[in-house]
Amino acid sequence: MKWIIQHLFAVTLVGAASFGVASAQEQPIKFGLLQDFTAVYTFVSGEYNQGQRDYLTLINQEGGVEGHKFEAIVRDTGNQPQRGIEAYNRAKEEGAILFDFLSTPVSRALVDSVLKDKVVMITPVHGRGDASDGEVFHYVFPTMATYWSQATVLAKYIEDHGGLEGKRIALVHIDSPFGREPLPVLQDLAAEKKFELKAFGYPSPGNEQSAVWSEVRRFRPDSVLIWGAGGGQPVSVREAIRNGIPAENIFSVVWLAETDAKNVGADIMKGVKRFEAVSTGTDTPILQRIKAKVIEPGLGAGDATHVGTSYYNIGVATMAVAVEAARNALKSEGAPLTGEKLKAGFEQIKDFSAEGLMPAITITAKDHQGGGAGRVSQWNGQAWEPVSDWGSAYQELVQKEITKGSQAFKEGK
Amino acid sequence: MFYRIAGVYHTRYDKARALWPVPADRWQITVVVIFALAAPFLLSDLYLGSYALPWLIWSAATLSLTLLMGLAGQLHFGFAAVMAIGAYTSIHLARFGVPFEFALLGAGIASAAIGALFGAAALRVKGLYLVMATLAMQYLVDWVINNVPAISGGAQATLRTPPSSFLLISLESLEVRYYLALAWAVLLAIFFMNVKRTSFGRALVAIRDKDFAAAVIGIDPFRYKLLAFFTSSFVGGVTGALLAFCYYRAVTPEQFGFNVSIQLVAMVLVGGLGSIIGGFLGAGFVLLIPIILTNLVSGLAASGFLTVSSNLLAHLPLMIYGALIIGFLVFEPLGLAKIYDNIRKYFLVWPFRHSRS
Repeated sequence: MKWIIQHLFAVTLVGAASFGVASAQEQPIKFGLLQDFTAVYTFVSGEYNQGQRDYLTLINQEGGVEGHKFEAIVRDTGNQPQRGIEAYNRAKEEGAILFDFLSTPVSRALVDSVLKDKVVMITPVHGRGDASDGEVFHYVFPTMATYWSQATVLAKYIEDHGGLEGKRIALVHIDSPFGREPLPVLQDLAAEKKFELKAFGYPSPGNEQSAVWSEVRRFRPDSVLIWGAGGGQPVSVREAIRNGIPAENIFSVVWLAETDAKNVGADIMKGVKRFEAVSTGTDTPILQRIKAKVIEPGLGAGDATHVGTSYYNIGVATMAVAVEAARNALKSEGAPLTGEKLKAGFEQIKDFSAEGLMPAITITAKDHQGGGAGRVSQWNGQAWEPVSDWGSAYQELVQKEITKGSQAFKEGK
Repeated sequence: MFYRIAGVYHTRYDKARALWPVPADRWQITVVVIFALAAPFLLSDLYLGSYALPWLIWSAATLSLTLLMGLAGQLHFGFAAVMAIGAYTSIHLARFGVPFEFALLGAGIASAAIGALFGAAALRVKGLYLVMATLAMQYLVDWVINNVPAISGGAQATLRTPPSSFLLISLESLEVRYYLALAWAVLLAIFFMNVKRTSFGRALVAIRDKDFAAAVIGIDPFRYKLLAFFTSSFVGGVTGALLAFCYYRAVTPEQFGFNVSIQLVAMVLVGGLGSIIGGFLGAGFVLLIPIILTNLVSGLAASGFLTVSSNLLAHLPLMIYGALIIGFLVFEPLGLAKIYDNIRKYFLVWPFRHSRS
């Protein structure tokens, strides 16, 4: 057994080594995209990762950043912390300076390692909200609206369209830390704006929610926030509509996409709203360039029909931010890039909107979230249509939670 | 030829009762132990920290479970919950200021108490029904951890291990943590080998084979089933604490989810029920083969030998892994330990063809 394992190691090493030699001449900047392609996050990671790789290909096709090309190290972690740890250590040895795990268990298990090893970890639209505090989490960058900011943007939309005072708002969430994450912010907001908030948790993974929704119906909510991901989301929407909640009053966290609309029925879901951090479709300049320079020459990383979908575009935006940070770092700190230089590059990002793909973000040494802006979009039967402008809301409440969480982390909790 | 058993005469009882009566086995064990002790000097941090260390801890977990499943014949599908109780108890005790050595002990006691409580179900139900009872334990413990912020650690549900030391040696460095895990795995292996030779171990085997028959010959099934659950949960709890302190260094609920329980059962079954070497081999197989296959397939794809879509590329290691498990089980249903045993028996009489057993 030991013999077999050692030989497998050797073969793997030879494979990795020959790979390293082939690309060593150009000194590429390496990003570790070590995500879950086979277990829980499959609903997003395929399209998301495809967007990330296509954007890096686009940058490489256009000549890189000041002559530096980018290379993505893509590995499956199966959402298992021990596999994530192995993949992280290996990619780190191969020279990766930025990591994106897109998995709560894996990123949680690696926060300490990342801080110690001084490499950048991005947790766009997911991951822990308190990592927005750059003075505690030096190397963790949410870069986009965290779940707390997503909740406040949705609440602000409800307030602007009919007010919050005296209303009954239900939060129907998956019963996990992720599902409960928006609660503290919404509770603070409920006290401030005097609306009635009630949380309803359904058991993971959320394929069966009928018991919860009959309780929700008895509560007679004016608006419902659904907070889940993957297979649970279409079930939530279907159950909500079956329980007589008008589609217009359903608001979702960022994880609701075209596939979910297809599963629920594109017509039935008409009117449902969701938070979005990145615009959908292929109308923005970057997406046009990806189509012309990556997809048409056949360099795309996957199925061309995914281009422009919600999760694909989020992937593109994450890499747009990362490449912008690398550009800043190369300009101000010089090559070769390290995790520390890349961190400095991130903190110089100012009013960056990826040519209109997303709201302008400004990342500072204190604020790693970049403002927490987003907008609300509505399913119109064929596509997601924005119904509000880019903006953030009640960031002082979010900031309160960030400080609370990051202080606790600092004290070693 | 290799084992040279001809001429080995046991003239004294303690020689005949030795753990390894055949000198060739002792040599093999010595070589493995020397390798294990020298590993921090032979392996890079990557292989030490991401392969050898988790392998040892999961082997310890597999041994804990195989005591219950292999020896006593009581199926347990919630062993990750037992480890979770150990991990959470130890981390809360350590944060409260209790020295790590006592936190480990506390972890074992808490796991043993709760594990034996659920094990009490085993006094009434058997087989698949016991699986249901232990599954209930898994889900109950998961639910409690998820829903009591005082246990899980608040909104982010992540608890970091405080800086701690074992017998005055700080656990900060990877080598120390490796040696601690190694010591625990070796201790458990020796304990397990000896348990099989005690009246306790024989009582468990009797209960596994037929509990009425065991009762007829004077073994109290009530006492021994509870003791089996107690012992196995105790060592499982300590292993959970070591997993938290030596490997993850932060505990979150997902580290002890239902899928981890299933993986542990798979480690026991693939390795071979009730076998010690099977515990190590099974843990290595279930834990490391997916990682190695993923790297191998990605390496092949990167060097251009394999041109498939990225979706298939991600699932290819899983397909090979599944085929490997089926292949091993068809080839030898009694697990990797039996394959080792067959090889050993072949060489025992080599160059002749057949061994006696």
